Amino acid sequence: MASANDLPSTCDVIVVGTGMTESILAAAASRVGKQVLHIDGNDYYGGLWASFNLDNLNKWVKDCENPENFASDPDDPNSDVKINNGEEFVFLQNQTSHISNIEVKWHIPKKLTETQVEQWSRKSQTSQEEKESSESDESKSPTEEHTLSRKHTNSESEKMPSVGFTRNGNWTQEDLMRDYRRFNIDLAPKLLFARGSLVELLISSNIARYTEFHAVTRVLTWLDGELNAVPCSRADVFATRHVSVVEKRMLMKLLTGCMDSDNLVQEFQGFESKTFLEYLKSKRLTAHLLHYVLYAIAMGTDTTPCMEGVERTQRFLNSLGRYGNTPFLWPMYGTGELPQAFCRLCAVFGGTYCLQHPAKALVVANERCVGVVSCGQRLMAEHVVMGIAQAPTQYLDGQQPSGISRGVFITNKSIMPSEKEPLTFLQFPPGPSHPNPVTVIEVGPSTHACPQGLFMVHMTCKQSKSAKEDLQEIASFLLTQEDVSPSDYDISTDNRSTQTSGQDPHHHHSEGASGSGDEAATVRTKPQVLWSMYFNCLETSKNSYSPNAPENVHLCSGPDLELDFEFSVQQAERLFKKMYPDLEFLPRAPDPEEIVIEGDTPEVVDEDGNSFEFDEEVQQPSS
Amino acid sequence: MEDYKFLFKVVLVGNSGVGKTCLVRRFTQGLFPPGQGATIGVDFMIKTVEIDGEKVKLQIWDTAGQERFRSITQSYYRSAHALILVYDISCQPTFDCLPDWLREIEEYASNKVLRILVGNKMDREDREIPIHVGEGFAQRHDMYFLETSAKEAENVEKLFMEIAAELMEQARSKELPRYDTISPTINGRTTSIGDNSCCSKIS
Repeated sequence: MASANDLPSTCDVIVVGTGMTESILAAAASRVGKQVLHIDGNDYYGGLWASFNLDNLNKWVKDCENPENFASDPDDPNSDVKINNGEEFVFLQNQTSHISNIEVKWHIPKKLTETQVEQWSRKSQTSQEEKESSESDESKSPTEEHTLSRKHTNSESEKMPSVGFTRNGNWTQEDLMRDYRRFNIDLAPKLLFARGSLVELLISSNIARYTEFHAVTRVLTWLDGELNAVPCSRADVFATRHVSVVEKRMLMKLLTGCMDSDNLVQEFQGFESKTFLEYLKSKRLTAHLLHYVLYAIAMGTDTTPCMEGVERTQRFLNSLGRYGNTPFLWPMYGTGELPQAFCRLCAVFGGTYCLQHPAKALVVANERCVGVVSCGQRLMAEHVVMGIAQAPTQYLDGQQPSGISRGVFITNKSIMPSEKEPLTFLQFPPGPSHPNPVTVIEVGPSTHACPQGLFMVHMTCKQSKSAKEDLQEIASFLLTQEDVSPSDYDISTDNRSTQTSGQDPHHHHSEGASGSGDEAATVRTKPQVLWSMYFNCLETSKNSYSPNAPENVHLCSGPDLELDFEFSVQQAERLFKKMYPDLEFLPRAPDPEEIVIEGDTPEVVDEDGNSFEFDEEVQQPSS
Repeated sequence: MEDYKFLFKVVLVGNSGVGKTCLVRRFTQGLFPPGQGATIGVDFMIKTVEIDGEKVKLQIWDTAGQERFRSITQSYYRSAHALILVYDISCQPTFDCLPDWLREIEEYASNKVLRILVGNKMDREDREIPIHVGEGFAQRHDMYFLETSAKEAENVEKLFMEIAAELMEQARSKELPRYDTISPTINGRTTSIGDNSCCSKIS
């Protein structure tokens, strides 16, 4: 549908790629009245920051494995686009070159055997009947009452059993693929500190209205070979059973000390060049407390410098108490939503969007970039912004970037089932076999990461070998991974699954989201991995650009190793100031005037009787 | 507090030039044509209507031009209660694209979303899509159907009022996707959300 000829041939800023930093910059430029053209060769938003459903993820994997499949410019710029005197074309790279060592694996059979199907249909017959009868009730009402004509109500898809609601037994690949749309699998999962720079930017720019978040419900750590909840609020500290009364006082004192800015210099005198570990030891913390503070709260290692540890502790504590029980938020539908929120704002302020429109080359004249060649068209602009993954190699400093190791696991229950659906952050401390800490984020169905009854575990660490080698040990501590050989696909899986879960398979579902299962029986059973993926991605946040790059080409880094989006926000702001030193970075976008509500503080009570307090000027109404 | 009992998010999709913005402006402001420049910076329009004595607030989202090159962000479809798919009855290509739009809707919108097919510009003399063809398409795809004219204000009020009524009906019978009833919408200055297992909007 997209016709190249319709794209504006001249604008202020061309942004190539819809990664996080690129999208923030596009929004910022558009917001201050610049004409922005934002293109991406992919048919999805986000580039290496995207979230995919299961089907699209498989496509992405295939594209990475066969880069020639990847969206490429169908037109040869040399034949279609004229090079003027004094100009040269500088060709762009393919972004999949940043991905390596991809390994995707199913750990469950394709489908059930006939005997299993029979067993299952007997088990689920009752619930299926209930479902259908309620459906037909629903279908009676609408057409009679309203004149909008709708003659059909029950479509095929409504009748299909949905994962988690009708299936209790063993999972199959077919089950998951049937609900492929209900997955949102992140390439670059990140949490937001409640007072981190992205949360503040979303609020100050009013882009928050395009986003929804879940508060992370708990912070876990790995201690003495098992999972432990880290007490991270005052209430938690006093509620925990794992910490004695004396320890509680010590912990509160220590944390208060880190937050007391007046006495900071005095408190840390002599530790400026020492490690945070040395400081914590000087406080004679017990082993448990030291572990909580160093590895979970400061997310540090044994070599983290003292003041960095203090800063990290402060960042954690500062973000407490704003939303929920922990300092973190997770974006609903995955982190891939966040670049899109900025793109939406850019479009609302007049930016032009065109996916499936790869950029082939930059047009450079007199050491300035005058535009971009895309789909046989010259697109001219004052500034060109692009993701580093596509940047021409001669514009990079030549320094080999480090790497990120990523693991994604779809599982049948939480790593530590709890009464309400948990959303977990776990910083796995470094150990003898894994020199780098591993960031683990577990999300459940209510974040729309996966269908009911399933969970998704993300693991991220600095790359030392391949992603699989870096992460498989940690994965084995937390999860049970069974390899299904091709010959197993059609063999009954009943026995194996009974052995591993140690209970009747049809209890699986209740352990998941509702967590109402028999705690004693399930708490020691590790979740089973149904599907896994490993890959490596380049970490480009430390890379700088060659002085050869034209001044008006602005390169944006790919996903970085840090937990939050701090780096992208700062990079976008820095680049914006370089482009437009005198203009404001993402000033507040106006609300449609009608939705500014004044007067009494509204209160909404949810079904559990929890009330949510609203400020007096509520910009965002809710039912 | 403004007293409204329900808030619903309604989103419009369809090809460029079928009159999506005109429908929204006609309904919310009674204007036609809306004037192009005015759309810059406007995200969604709000109108509170009354159904059976209850105040219902409709938040109506437009595509911000991203439909031009079929580049609508998935997040646009998230949390929508109703989705209006619009074509121009005097322009066959806008009708031919409907299956593409449906695929996109299937992919990103909640499967419980109320879907309405609208043939706009029914005032035009040069009709290319007979009404029964539009109706048939809607039937096959399990959608409500209506022809409108933003220009003549024909059926525009009716379209949105019936959406509001239907959504209210669904909300009462709890069929509605649950996002609004469970998401506290919190203001940037608000420091607490009541329940950490609920999702929150920061703003």
